[in-house]
Amino acid sequence: MAVDDELEFIEMLKEYFELRGYEIHVASKAVQGIELINNKNPDIAILDLKMPGISGDEILGLLKSKQPKTKVIFVTAFDDAGKTKARMLNAGAYAYLDKPLNSLKVLEDVISKAYSGKSLKEDL
Amino acid sequence: MNAFGLSSLLVGLSSLSMAIFLAIKGQGKKLNNIWTAYSLGVAIWAFGGLKLSTIHDNPNDAFLWWQLTYIGIIFLPTLFLHFVCTFLDIKRRLLIILSYISCFIFLFYDLFSKNLFIGNVKFLFSQFYWVNPPGPLLYLFIFASIYGLIIYSHYELYAAYRKTHDMRKRMQITYFFIGAALGWGGGFLCFLPCFGVYIYPFGNFGVFFYPLLMGYAIVRHQLMDIEVIIKKTLVFAGLLAAVSAMLVLPTLVIQEFISQSAGLGDRVAGLILSSILIIFSLRKIENFLINVTDKYLFQKKYDYKELLKTFTSEVLTVLDLNRLVKLTVNKLSDIIKLQSCGVFLLNEDKNEYNLMASQGIKEKNMVLKIDNTLASFLARTKTCLSVSAHIKEYKMPEKIIEDMNRLKLELAIPLATSQGGMMGILTLGKKKSDEEYTQDDMDILLPLARTLAIALSNAEMFEELGKTQAEAAQREKMAVIGTLSAGINHEICNPLGIARGQCEVFILNMKDGLYKNKTPDELLEKAQKIMEKVIHETDRATAITKRLSSFAKPSKGLVSHDIDIKEEIDEVLALVGYELKLDKIDIIKEIGENLSLISGDKKQLQEIFFNLLRNAAQAIKERGRIVIKARETGGKVFIDIEDTGHGIPEDKLGQIFNPFYTTKEPGKGTGLGLFIVRQVVEKNGGKISVKSKVGDGTVFTLEFPASAKKVSA
Repeated sequence: MAVDDELEFIEMLKEYFELRGYEIHVASKAVQGIELINNKNPDIAILDLKMPGISGDEILGLLKSKQPKTKVIFVTAFDDAGKTKARMLNAGAYAYLDKPLNSLKVLEDVISKAYSGKSLKEDL
Repeated sequence: MNAFGLSSLLVGLSSLSMAIFLAIKGQGKKLNNIWTAYSLGVAIWAFGGLKLSTIHDNPNDAFLWWQLTYIGIIFLPTLFLHFVCTFLDIKRRLLIILSYISCFIFLFYDLFSKNLFIGNVKFLFSQFYWVNPPGPLLYLFIFASIYGLIIYSHYELYAAYRKTHDMRKRMQITYFFIGAALGWGGGFLCFLPCFGVYIYPFGNFGVFFYPLLMGYAIVRHQLMDIEVIIKKTLVFAGLLAAVSAMLVLPTLVIQEFISQSAGLGDRVAGLILSSILIIFSLRKIENFLINVTDKYLFQKKYDYKELLKTFTSEVLTVLDLNRLVKLTVNKLSDIIKLQSCGVFLLNEDKNEYNLMASQGIKEKNMVLKIDNTLASFLARTKTCLSVSAHIKEYKMPEKIIEDMNRLKLELAIPLATSQGGMMGILTLGKKKSDEEYTQDDMDILLPLARTLAIALSNAEMFEELGKTQAEAAQREKMAVIGTLSAGINHEICNPLGIARGQCEVFILNMKDGLYKNKTPDELLEKAQKIMEKVIHETDRATAITKRLSSFAKPSKGLVSHDIDIKEEIDEVLALVGYELKLDKIDIIKEIGENLSLISGDKKQLQEIFFNLLRNAAQAIKERGRIVIKARETGGKVFIDIEDTGHGIPEDKLGQIFNPFYTTKEPGKGTGLGLFIVRQVVEKNGGKISVKSKVGDGTVFTLEFPASAKKVSA
C-alpha cells in the first residue's frame, strides 16, 4: 500500500507497480491510509512522512502496534539533515528515501529486498 | 547760485558726510583718520567755494574767504600723500614730515600775509572773485604741493599697482586711482584761472564723484577697515545732493531763461518750484537710493539671529543625511545670500570628498581627492581657509588659492569630527553683495560648522544604524527561510519527483515491454498526458521558487500606493501555508469586503505578515488555529493575527518588541523578529499592538492608514 497526499505521485506508483505484478492500494488521506492498514494488512507500506492530519511517528507507531510484520518505507521530501531519517529507522522503519527519487528502480529494489526478507543494512 | 556754487555744495556735502562717518565709524585706525582729515579739508575747500560763489561786489570779503578756503586746500596734498603712503605701506617719513611743516608755513602766510600767499582777487566769468594773480608763495604751493605731491602720489599708486599680484589690492588701487585722478583732475582745472587761463571751474563737478567712488571702494573692496554702515552715508549724501540740486537748479534755470536780473521774485518762484519738486520726489529718491545701494553695494545684511534660529530649529535636527546637507546649503545660501555654497562629504571607500549638495556650483558631481592640496591642507590644519584672509593676514600656498579660485570659493571650512578626522568641507562662495567676509561672519560660521559636523556625524551614524538594522532584518529573514525547508522542499521536490517519475514510468514500461498490447495511437495519447503532467508539475515548482527568491531579496524600499492587503497575505500564505498545515494549524481568513488599499513597501509588508504568522505558528504547541482578520474603520485598515497559542504573560508583554528579547530556547530565536517587525511597520506608516492571555493565545493588531483607493472588485 502507498499513502501520500500527492495524488499524482501515488497514482504513478500504482501504475508502475501494478504493471509489474504487485497488488497495490493507494490513499491520499491519512484516514483512508489507516483504513487500508486495518483492512488490507499490507506487506509493505510506502508512506509520506508529513501529511496533513497525521505525522510519520504516529503512523509508524500505529503500524508497529497493529501490523508489526508490515515493512514501512518512507518516501518523503522532508529534509532536516538526516535527523528524522535516523529517528524513523530506529523506530523500526525499513527504509527512508528522499523525494525526488533518483529512479523508481531504487524504490523497486528496496521493495523486492523487503519481500525477500533481507534487511537493508545487511545488504549495504 | 551759479554752477561753481552748485558743484561746491555737492562736493562739500558729500565730503563732509564722508568725514563725519569715517570719524564715527573709522574705529580710530590711522588710515581712516587720515582720510577723515582729508575729507574735512575738501569740505572746507568746497564750502569756502560755495560762499565765494555768492560774493559779487566785495573784493575784501572775497579775499577773506579765499584765505579761509585755503586753510583746507593747503593740507590736502600732504594728507593725500600721507594716505597713499600709509595705504601702500611705503616709508616716506621725511617727505611727509617736510610736507606737513611746509603746510604750516603756507598756513601762516595764508592767514597773516596780505600779498605773499593769496595775492589778489579778480571778478571772473561775471560770477565770482577768483585768486588772480596769486602771490609768490601760492605759486610755490600750487606747483610744489598741488601738482608735485599729487602727481608723485599717483606715481606711487601706479608703481604699487604694477608690483602687486594681489587681485584685491589691485582693485582697491584702481578705484582709488580713478577716484583721485577724477578729483584732482577736476581740482587742477580750478587753479588754471589763477594764471590767466580762463577756463570755467567746471572741473569742480569731478571732485563730487570722488567721495562717491571712494565710498564704493571702501564698501566693496574694503579700501578702509570700516564696517558697511557707510551705506547710510551714501544714501544720505546722495539724498542731500539731490535735494540741493533740486533747490538750486530751478532757481538757476529761472534766472538764466526768464530774467537776467536776480530779483527777489525769481528766487521765490524758483523756491516754490523747488519745494514742489522736493515734496513729490523726496521719498522716491530716498527709496531709489536705498535700493541702488542695496542692490549694488549690499545685499541686505543678513540676520545672525535668523541664521542661528533656522539652523538650530530646522536644520541641525534633521537625521536624514541627504536632507541635512541640502537644507544646510539652501538655508546658508538664502540667509547669507551667497553666490554659491556646497557641502563635500568624505567617501571613505573611495578616499575622496564628494560634493553632496550645492547651490550655484555648475559641476554637480565635483570630487576632491583626499590628497588634493586644498583637502589635505584643511584636514591637516582644521582651520578655515579664506581667500581674503590670505590677502590680509597670512600667505597660503599658491596651489590652494588656485584650487579655491577654480572652485570659486571664498571660504572653505573643515567639518572636523570629534575623533580628529575631517568628515567634510563646507564651502562658501562670494556673497551676492560682493562684500568680504567679516570677523562677525566668521564668529558665527565657525561655531555653526562645528555644530553642523556633529549633526552630520549623527546623521551618518543613524544611516549606518539603519543599514545595520536592514542587514539584521535580512539575516533574520534568511534564517527563517532556512526553517521553512520542510514546506519549501515539499513544494519543490514533490512536483519534480512526479515529473521525473511520470517520464521514468513511461520509459521503463516501454523497455520492459509492458506497453506491447497498446496501439501507437494509445501510446501517443499516453505520452501526451504525461507531458501535460510534467508541464503542470514543473510550473508548480517554478512558481514556488519565484516566490521564494522574490521574498528572500532585500527590500528596495519602493513605496507603492495600491497595496491590497489580501493579496499580500495570500502571497505569504503560499509560502508558509503548507508548513502551517503540516503543523496541524488551521488558517482562517476573515478579510472584509471592499477594503481600502494601503501605501507601503510590498516586500516589507510581506515580511511583517510572514514574521507574525511564523510567530503565531511557533506559539501553537499542538493543534491550533490562526485567524487572519482584516477590517476598516475610520480611514484605517486593521489586520489582526490571532493565534490559539500559549499566550504571553502580562509582565513580558511590554518587552516583546525590544531587540534581542526572546522566550525561545537559546539558539532558536535571535530575538529580533518582533523588533524588526515593529521597525518595519512604523517605517511603512503603521502601528502594531498586541493583546495576549496566557493559555488563550495572542492577537497582534496592525494598523495602516487607508489610501483613497479601494480594492477593485
